[in-house]
Amino acid sequence: MTALAAHVPALVVVNLLMCSYIMPVLARWKKHLCIPVALGSVSFSFILSIFLTFQVSRQGAFSYALGGWAAPWGIEFVVDHFSVFMLLTLTGVGLLILVYATEDLIHELKQDVVGWYYTLYLLLMGSMVGLALTNDLFNLFVFVEICAIASCAIISIKENRECIEASLKYLILSAVGSGGMLLGIAMIYMVTGNLNFTYVTEALPQAFELYPRNIMVAMSMFTAGIGVKAALFPLHVWLPDAHSSAPSPSSAILSGLVIKIYAAVFIKIFLRMFPWDVYETVPLMTIVLIMSSVGIVVGSMFAIVQEDIKKMLAYSSVAQIGYVFLGIGLLSQNGTLGGILHIFNHALMKSMLFMSAGAIIYSTGVRRISDLKGIGTKMPLVMSVFSIGAFSMVGIPMTNGFISKWYLAIGALDVDKPLYVAVILLSSLLNGVYYLPIVVNAFFGEGKESVTVHHKLPWKMTLPLIILASAIIITGIFPKLMLGLADKAVMFLLN
Amino acid sequence: MIEILSNLLHNFYYLIAIILFVIGFHTMLSHSNLIKKIMGMNIMDTAIFLFFVSIGYVEGGRAPIIELGQDHVYVNPIPSALILTGIVVAVSVTAFALSLIVKIYQHYGTVDAEEIMRIRSREV
Repeated sequence: MTALAAHVPALVVVNLLMCSYIMPVLARWKKHLCIPVALGSVSFSFILSIFLTFQVSRQGAFSYALGGWAAPWGIEFVVDHFSVFMLLTLTGVGLLILVYATEDLIHELKQDVVGWYYTLYLLLMGSMVGLALTNDLFNLFVFVEICAIASCAIISIKENRECIEASLKYLILSAVGSGGMLLGIAMIYMVTGNLNFTYVTEALPQAFELYPRNIMVAMSMFTAGIGVKAALFPLHVWLPDAHSSAPSPSSAILSGLVIKIYAAVFIKIFLRMFPWDVYETVPLMTIVLIMSSVGIVVGSMFAIVQEDIKKMLAYSSVAQIGYVFLGIGLLSQNGTLGGILHIFNHALMKSMLFMSAGAIIYSTGVRRISDLKGIGTKMPLVMSVFSIGAFSMVGIPMTNGFISKWYLAIGALDVDKPLYVAVILLSSLLNGVYYLPIVVNAFFGEGKESVTVHHKLPWKMTLPLIILASAIIITGIFPKLMLGLADKAVMFLLN
Repeated sequence: MIEILSNLLHNFYYLIAIILFVIGFHTMLSHSNLIKKIMGMNIMDTAIFLFFVSIGYVEGGRAPIIELGQDHVYVNPIPSALILTGIVVAVSVTAFALSLIVKIYQHYGTVDAEEIMRIRSREV
């Protein structure tokens, strides 16, 4: 037992990848086993993540050498407060989305590809968990590529025209992004001679004096590469089509988790690997701040004019990822804390909103926002859950959206940049402009009789919604739980 | 100025890799034919691979196979090993992209991005 406990960091990833590989076999011969195996694998990773969280809080950060090859030669996984924070978010929300998917997919996909969907889902989960843990630049690149292919495939699996087209657009743009990241890795390797984050960090201050140009090119390549993948504002063009046309569980995982994991990669590279005093000479973080705050405002404005509910949610993601990058760009303790916390909070909110939109489409077939009038009386549960998500998006106290915005605002004031507080306030108002009318119209609007509920929602679809909604309220009223973990993560990054 | 030029001349393989990168990037952005876009993507990837491999090159070095008692200069094997992985990744991305293009051709009857935009805008 103790021998196995030492290998938990590898098991979290390997378990998901292995189950993903046997899924096509199961889909071919033992179809009824697909769902239990997929659920079991993600829950196993969730349990292991909780185990790792306890281990980290007891003994502090530790590293794991894959295959027994020690750090500079082999690939290293580092389990620290930040990676367990990401692990809990990924596996917890991923498990709930999977529970929802088991029911929803039967109606959205062709029968013979449902098994393949779990392959892609587990592959995507595995690569994201790997990204959260890895401490090696090239390993990071490999996981990024797995993540990119899996997330494109999870869109195109619904073989209609919009999905294929959106998926190809996403694939081409994210290939450019990965190319940029690989070039950045090459530049870093060129001047430091290492791929391991820890060793690169040691070598960077000296390398920066000798070869500042290389490092600057590497920084810009990383920013552009990760920016494309995380849909940072001017590079977000692929996101609305991809996230709105995909099957609902895919939209939930793509908007809730996949774009967040790239923000986490950004944190790993720019806050942990590069020394912070670099930013005094290179105005990178100012650029990130401008991009993210323009993204926050413009993303919300685009969202206001959308007619399709999933497209509106997708544009709202463009705005919300801006908050995460705003927090990173502020380079203050509270700002970073707000950014990291928003990764978790937005993962809860956005996956829940996409799933409730999916539930509405599942039951009534309605996608247009103007047709949603009066739907609150017909689907009270889904619309109450949607309202909680909407309130949290606006940042009303008692919901978790308020907590992260609060820390972002404090962080902006800490470094004397009150302009960004204004940006946060403005975007909260804009969020209210497009979320609240939906809620008000759903409950108090005069409904057309044409909207009818065709299917009753099965419990597998309502349960994740209820859990996520209560998690939003609970972490809004008692923020200590995740805040403590995020606070330790920030402390770890600062050292 | 002369210093920059002589630096470029000394590291001409980096320069060529970057020129290839720009060619690939430009092909990818400016052509509306989807197949050509994928070709551009591959040229771009190859440029990065060349760049990465040339980092590991040591003047006069040979393949890193250690013979006992002999004292040779070896090239750095790590970039080559990494790029083998990179090539596999690039091949799979290309295969996936081409299969998506086949599907697009089935739906639209063309592989031209502008033509597809025209068809879509006519429908709305």
